[in-house]
Amino acid sequence: MRYCLLLLFCCSLSIAQALEVRVALSLPEGPGQVQPTVGRVAKGGLAAFNEELAREICRRLNARCTVSRMPFSEILSSVEENRFDLGFGNYLRTPERERRVDFSEPIWRSSSRLVATPATIRRFASGNGAGISLDKLRQARVACIEGTLQHAFLRSIAPAQDLELVTVASVSETLNVLRENKADFVLQPVLSSFALIGREAPGSFEYVGPPLTENGLGGTVHVAMPKGSDALRRSVNLAIAAIRADGTFHRIVRRYFPMNLD
Amino acid sequence: MISQLRGLKQVHAGRAFGLLAAIFVLILGVMVALVALDQQRVLEATARLQEETVPEIIRYQRLARNLEQLRQEGERVFAAATPQARQQAMFVVTLVASHPSVLEHKAAAELAQQVETFLGDAMRQMTAGARDSGPVYEEWQRLAERVGLMVDDVSIQGINLATNDLSYVAEAMRLARYKLTAALIVAGLFLAMFVALIRIHLIYPLQRIDRALSTLSVDRPAPEFEPSTMVEIQSVEAAIGELHASLMENEAARHALEKLANRDGLTGLINRRHFMQTADAELMRAQRYERPVTIGMADLDCFKNLNDTYGHAVGDTVLRAFAELVQEVLRQSDLVCRYGGEEFAFLFPESSLDEAQRLAERLRSRCAEYDIRIPDGRLVRVTLSMGLADASDCPIETALRRADEALYQAKRLGRNRVELAAPVEAV
Repeated sequence: MRYCLLLLFCCSLSIAQALEVRVALSLPEGPGQVQPTVGRVAKGGLAAFNEELAREICRRLNARCTVSRMPFSEILSSVEENRFDLGFGNYLRTPERERRVDFSEPIWRSSSRLVATPATIRRFASGNGAGISLDKLRQARVACIEGTLQHAFLRSIAPAQDLELVTVASVSETLNVLRENKADFVLQPVLSSFALIGREAPGSFEYVGPPLTENGLGGTVHVAMPKGSDALRRSVNLAIAAIRADGTFHRIVRRYFPMNLD
Repeated sequence: MISQLRGLKQVHAGRAFGLLAAIFVLILGVMVALVALDQQRVLEATARLQEETVPEIIRYQRLARNLEQLRQEGERVFAAATPQARQQAMFVVTLVASHPSVLEHKAAAELAQQVETFLGDAMRQMTAGARDSGPVYEEWQRLAERVGLMVDDVSIQGINLATNDLSYVAEAMRLARYKLTAALIVAGLFLAMFVALIRIHLIYPLQRIDRALSTLSVDRPAPEFEPSTMVEIQSVEAAIGELHASLMENEAARHALEKLANRDGLTGLINRRHFMQTADAELMRAQRYERPVTIGMADLDCFKNLNDTYGHAVGDTVLRAFAELVQEVLRQSDLVCRYGGEEFAFLFPESSLDEAQRLAERLRSRCAEYDIRIPDGRLVRVTLSMGLADASDCPIETALRRADEALYQAKRLGRNRVELAAPVEAV
């Protein structure tokens, strides 16, 4: 099996000879500008992990890689308009997105959770008299990144649960809205918030409620590619398989996360 | 089956063996199909092992590893020297407890949630500066023990998946082996049956036919065969019977032809050619063994007058009557032929001249008294003149010539008499 993958990968190398791949990445989790930036960012978090993974895939494709950073909400449309070849935005696969772009084989798996300050948690826990969970949450301000599945889900339940939606453009802004008391909770992928909360003083923010995987809030994460780019998709899938087979994927994961992401 | 085939009256060999071959191919085909089905099962099981079970095992192993990490990070929460390290450990606990690999396993998800809640509460107590964390840690150890047990359970579940699939493959392979063995036995049995049937219904009958053909002769009775089932064998055996009948007919025809060739058509006596051959052989035998033998020549007296008076038809009647008389009077071993016209030649084996003379005299006297009824009802008599010569030491031609001379001597002396040729020395 491994030899077959290697053979196919070698074949794909000749196809991808002199290939130039334009990669769209989400903005880093740390403090920074909202505007898209081009170039390397400091290590840490999903953004850095995605960048290293993108560069490794480019290396396996024998392609020259051009990395651009932009808000999450712009990545999918940019890929859809064929302005970028690969979009790394921690994209979960949904029928609506599949109509717009093609997806690679899964890279890792994700779930979503609420994040809040300890004071907010105490306030809502005492108010409800029970443990906090998204489905029981009432009259709260919940923040999310614009254009994400979390955003779509919150919009669908907000009227019924009397929730106020606060949207931000990037991961780096999510904790700010909590800190500035513009929102009570943030709903986002657990891995996205991991790097942010880790930088804060102990006890500043906490995960609250059960992890969520239903209603599009969890599942497999893929690389987005322009619709119809079958040859590129096959090459990327082979590259991902090769990266997994020789252990490179897990070494990259270990550099950014203390656990396996599969 | 052999006895059943024997019970049948007529079976075409081609159809019978074709039917057997078809049954054999059918049974073998079924066996091969069954083996192929088992192979298909093995292939499917192997594919399932590769495409489903192995990923599932990996999933279980990943879950076990994540749960083990959950337990270790839980220990770190208690063992951490600084709040930052404690929070880092707690984050990992949260990450692990939130990961889909844990969430997709209901029991593991509940336990991980319990661990996260417990550790969160414990951490808040420790951060708040609780004096004695001993009871909490003891409770954590009990919880950690449950996590450890689940790690073992999950690992075993994963391994069991592979064991189940491999057992299924092994069972299918074992079945395939049994079926293959059965197919080989069936093939062997059919082969043995084929050989037995071919021997019984083809080889043995062919050997019988071979023996019958090699001994087929007019001197032997027509060969008889045991009843055969195969139509083809029956046909060949019937053809052999017909061949024997043809041989017998040919032999009879040959005998008839030989008779026609050797006999005189009018009198039924042997003709001159056959007499010469036989007499020559008899003379050679007698001379070799120094046995007596006598040759005679006879002629009906005044036969021309008889023909002229009564016609040739009466002449023929007289000749036939004389021939009958000769055969009646002479010995069975004596040879007599119509030499030509009314002339007759005689050979008396094992008879000296005197003995032959006695026989000739008896014939002459009987002939002289023999009434021959001619077609118009009247009776006529003819007389006979005969000359005898000893042939024990001369060629047949010489003996005949000397007997002929003696015959003329008898004619000259008045007919109706027997004259002896003078000995050779006296000539």
